[in-house]
Amino acid sequence: MSEQAKRSGGGRRRAAIVLFVLAALLLIGAICGYVLRGAASSGANLADMRTSAVLHAASEGLVENIAQQARADKLKELRADKDFRKRGLDEVNAICDAARDEARAEAEKMYSNPVVEDRAALESAIQAFEGVLATSGTLSEKERSAYAALYVSLIENVSDWTDLAGENVDDDAVFTALCDAEPDLNLAQNAHLKDGFVRMARDLAAAEQEKETAELQKRLIDQMKGDVADWSAFADLEDEALWSGLLEEMPELQNSEAFKPALMDAAKAFAAAAAAGEALPEEAEAEQGAETFNETQADYSYFTPSEALAKEQADNAEAYEALKAQLVAIIPDLAGLSDKLQDTLRANVEAVVWPGSLDFTTRYDAYVAHGAASVLTGGAAFTMKLASLAEALLLASIALLLLGLVMYAWEPLTKRFGVPRTIIALFFIYLCLLSELYNISVPMMLGNVLERMTMYGVLVLAMMPGIQCGIGLNMGMTIGCISGLLGIVFSLQFNMTGFPALIFACLSGALISLPLGWAYSKLLNRMKGNEMTISTYVGFSFVSLMCIGWMLLPFNNPRIIWLLSGRGLRVTHSLLGSFAHLLDNFLAFKVLGVEVPTGGLLFLGLCCLLMWLFSRSRTGIAMTAVGSNARFAEASGINVNHMRTVGTVLSTMIAAIGIVIYSQAFGYAQLYTAPRQLGFIAASAILIGGATVSKARVSHVLLGVFLFEGVLVFGQQIANSVVAGGGLSEVMRIMISNGIILYALTQSGGGSRE
Amino acid sequence: MNKNKALAHIGKYAVTYLFIALSVFFIIVSGLDINYVASQLLLRLNRNAFIVLALIIPIIAGMGINFAITIGAMAAQIGLLLTINWGVTGVPGILLAAAITLPLGAMFGFLIGKLLNKMKGQETIGSLILGYFANGAYQLLFLFIFGTIIPLNDNVTIVGASGVQNTLNLTGSVGLYTAIDGIAHIPFLTALYAVAAVLALSAVIQCARKAISAKRMIATLVLAAVIAGVFSIPGVAAVVNGAHGREVKLPLVTWLLILALCLFNSTIMRTRLGQKFRAVGQSQTVANASGINVDRTRVIAIMISTVLAGWGQIVFMQSEGIGTFQTYAAHEQVGLYAGAAILVGGASIDRATNLQALVGTFLFHSLFITAQSAASALFGDSAVGEYFRAFLSYGVIAVALIMYAWRGAKQKKEGQINLSDRGKSG
Repeated sequence: MSEQAKRSGGGRRRAAIVLFVLAALLLIGAICGYVLRGAASSGANLADMRTSAVLHAASEGLVENIAQQARADKLKELRADKDFRKRGLDEVNAICDAARDEARAEAEKMYSNPVVEDRAALESAIQAFEGVLATSGTLSEKERSAYAALYVSLIENVSDWTDLAGENVDDDAVFTALCDAEPDLNLAQNAHLKDGFVRMARDLAAAEQEKETAELQKRLIDQMKGDVADWSAFADLEDEALWSGLLEEMPELQNSEAFKPALMDAAKAFAAAAAAGEALPEEAEAEQGAETFNETQADYSYFTPSEALAKEQADNAEAYEALKAQLVAIIPDLAGLSDKLQDTLRANVEAVVWPGSLDFTTRYDAYVAHGAASVLTGGAAFTMKLASLAEALLLASIALLLLGLVMYAWEPLTKRFGVPRTIIALFFIYLCLLSELYNISVPMMLGNVLERMTMYGVLVLAMMPGIQCGIGLNMGMTIGCISGLLGIVFSLQFNMTGFPALIFACLSGALISLPLGWAYSKLLNRMKGNEMTISTYVGFSFVSLMCIGWMLLPFNNPRIIWLLSGRGLRVTHSLLGSFAHLLDNFLAFKVLGVEVPTGGLLFLGLCCLLMWLFSRSRTGIAMTAVGSNARFAEASGINVNHMRTVGTVLSTMIAAIGIVIYSQAFGYAQLYTAPRQLGFIAASAILIGGATVSKARVSHVLLGVFLFEGVLVFGQQIANSVVAGGGLSEVMRIMISNGIILYALTQSGGGSRE
Repeated sequence: MNKNKALAHIGKYAVTYLFIALSVFFIIVSGLDINYVASQLLLRLNRNAFIVLALIIPIIAGMGINFAITIGAMAAQIGLLLTINWGVTGVPGILLAAAITLPLGAMFGFLIGKLLNKMKGQETIGSLILGYFANGAYQLLFLFIFGTIIPLNDNVTIVGASGVQNTLNLTGSVGLYTAIDGIAHIPFLTALYAVAAVLALSAVIQCARKAISAKRMIATLVLAAVIAGVFSIPGVAAVVNGAHGREVKLPLVTWLLILALCLFNSTIMRTRLGQKFRAVGQSQTVANASGINVDRTRVIAIMISTVLAGWGQIVFMQSEGIGTFQTYAAHEQVGLYAGAAILVGGASIDRATNLQALVGTFLFHSLFITAQSAASALFGDSAVGEYFRAFLSYGVIAVALIMYAWRGAKQKKEGQINLSDRGKSG
């Protein structure tokens, strides 16, 4: 170790000690916060804040309303003025805004400190409302989420529904079809919502039909406009003759029997207008169709609450009315608000009284956000602040502690595990600690991680022979994935189910991938040193080429093709009827709250074992030699190109099997652009496990897929509880996955090892 | 000899000729109005040419297709967001966005360059993945940092949640739509005659100053005459002069900017810095031996490219027919389309010129415009056209990479040029 390195090591130690001290200080702060919290949440301070926040929330809308009214009045006044036109827009705006701000300031002065005569009554009303809100909510949430999930799913797959929800199908049949199509949603449990669901499905289907009709009409009219003279001849034709004439001119209408009447009407109107030389019909009607569909999308009116929910809502309303009576007594002007503003008032008050949970921090933050900060002064304010920060302090303290530990033991750690593996592993530990704090069930999360391991494990394993044989990270494994998807689609086309379907999909996928992988390996053998770049783009190109393939291949089982156009495979195929979760549910059991997908893990273990045995065989050892040093291997008489071919073909075939396993664990097979990024996911997982672009072992695969999926599963849950919306976890996935590949590239100088 | 030369030429530009043939075929099959195709094509040319031209310098400096220009585009989008946020409109708004892009792009370019220096020989894939990585950072910035840590106005953020809106409007009171394009328009034919005249004049002057041979001058004069002549034929002129449909007009200032960038690209190659780019691109070992700081030169190349790409993105966003700023998607395909376009024009992983960039953009977008209609005519389904476009973009890049690697392997085998110093540092 050089002098400088020693010194930097010492510096790191010192920094670590500073971090430890900081962590200890923060920990003390956190402990104080937690101790204070006990007193604070039961004491009067929090209740005072709540009352003040409620009053503020109530007056907020009123003040804003007055301010906006003042602005509108000012504008009216200016308009009446004869000089109005002389003023510029900016000037008018400035004057109005000034009037608004003035009115707002005045109103705030008037309402911000209302005189509360009977404070106890107000507080008890708030308390009662809080109680109602705290106990209710779950029921309505459950019903509403079933409704919303169904809604989204129906909208997404609306083209499947146009046939199923037709007028000649009775309600029960539609509902059964809904339950079958969306077993995950447990619709049957919400039988009281049946009527709403069925009406919704029907209306959506009708709207979709209308939209499709409109689009076809629009296309027809477009076409007709191109050749008005020709079409005017159609005006006198009989219906059947007209239709066959239309088909001749526009063969794509062939599959549009269902839209025949509507299209005929449009064509007739057009032809008549053309023959008479009148103005041609415009596309306005077509536009209208699209609008109807969008309106339906925004509709929430099919929702009919159950009796229990109705009672809950009644209780809720009662408690709110009691509270509002108190508020009106304090601020009489509240009674005069319009209906719309009443709704806003209620939403505001509800948001304060029930900020999502009775957790101290949540309540404190919500009250502060509604202007309750000024209620407390001096020591009380500080105590409350500290109590509210306890969690943040604890988390920061743990983070600093971990950071300090890493700093302290940086060299031995990184020497043993490598930089990225150390960082990711520590991150994983930190996430596990966090999930304890956020009350996320760790066993359940671990079950999810195991499930995702069975999902991605075989795909990640496909990276291994590629690395061993010297082509580096095989981003072109998507070729294998597409072969596997073809296998799945074949099994669906032939209506196969259960294990035969799974085995057939695996075998046929592997068989298809054999010649493709062979050709691909021949290509790569000529491109030594550039494999990763080329395999990435060959993979991308193949995925896009197959997008056209999925559209044009002559599959004809109505279960898998687009119903409307009558050809082309759908994007997402549910495997529920065939082999979804088949392996995962095989011998599955639950231990310590962790659900273990036994079959999937066994299969992954079997694949890993076979791979391990293979790398111990003569061929395997020769292949590994090629990967770690091609020149040396060549010198010792190994046929380098042959070994590379073996490795590439193997990698492609494992990828084909991998995607079948992935689809069974996921429950759906996704075609078109879905497989494009799989290569990147597999590459990042194996790299996180400790592989490099020239060396990989089975242990790297298993550890990598566990750590990668672990970080993603835990990270997603935690990110969702920190920030609403799924964006943060996606950002994390993108950055980890690509960051690790970048790191590997910088370490290797890129994949070329000659 | 001549025949061999012609064959070699066709071999080198195989992709370009294939695309010319495909474009003609598609235009005929699609049945689109030729006036429509011409006006769309010119529109897309002035939209995209700037970004494509930004790829040239890294290619010459031996760094391959710089897919990390998406990061330049992200810098520009940060600039545009702030401009919209501050309510600066029109030309000042564009200038402000460009001014913000300059330091941001330079800084990002510096970091990209540093990183690519650690993965020599794998810059293409490295820059691609870097682009993906940066997309994550960009989302982090736009979803969780803007609007919370960095305060923004309500009109650009999502009310009730953190982050910037999905779509920002550039039209109306935001006033950035066609801020450059809209300054002045000239009819296409006028511009064409002017170009032909300038071409002829410069040939005569250069010949008089003995900068080029008389033979070259005559060739140039003939070329100019042919350009002017072809468009003087009534049938051809009718495509663009508004006899059928709309008269095709060019946004003057945008085109001046594109020309300025072409000029910049060719001028910088004559400076000392340009010589360094070329030397580093040809052989890092030789360049290093002759005292050039290879790593620094490469970083500068990427910095210039990133800033230019950022400005190119601003030109793109303000252009006619865009009008909205897709906050989370506008940058995603920038690298792919620009890379494919320049390769279609006959550039390779280590060679590129202004002309190739312009021709490539022209050809690539002629397919882009016609693919959907052609596919619905051929297969009765316009979605096929959409997928075909994606296939073309990726396929062109794959083919160019394969041809380059193939040539490298062949040359290495024949021992003509020692390419092994190319990035084999690891």
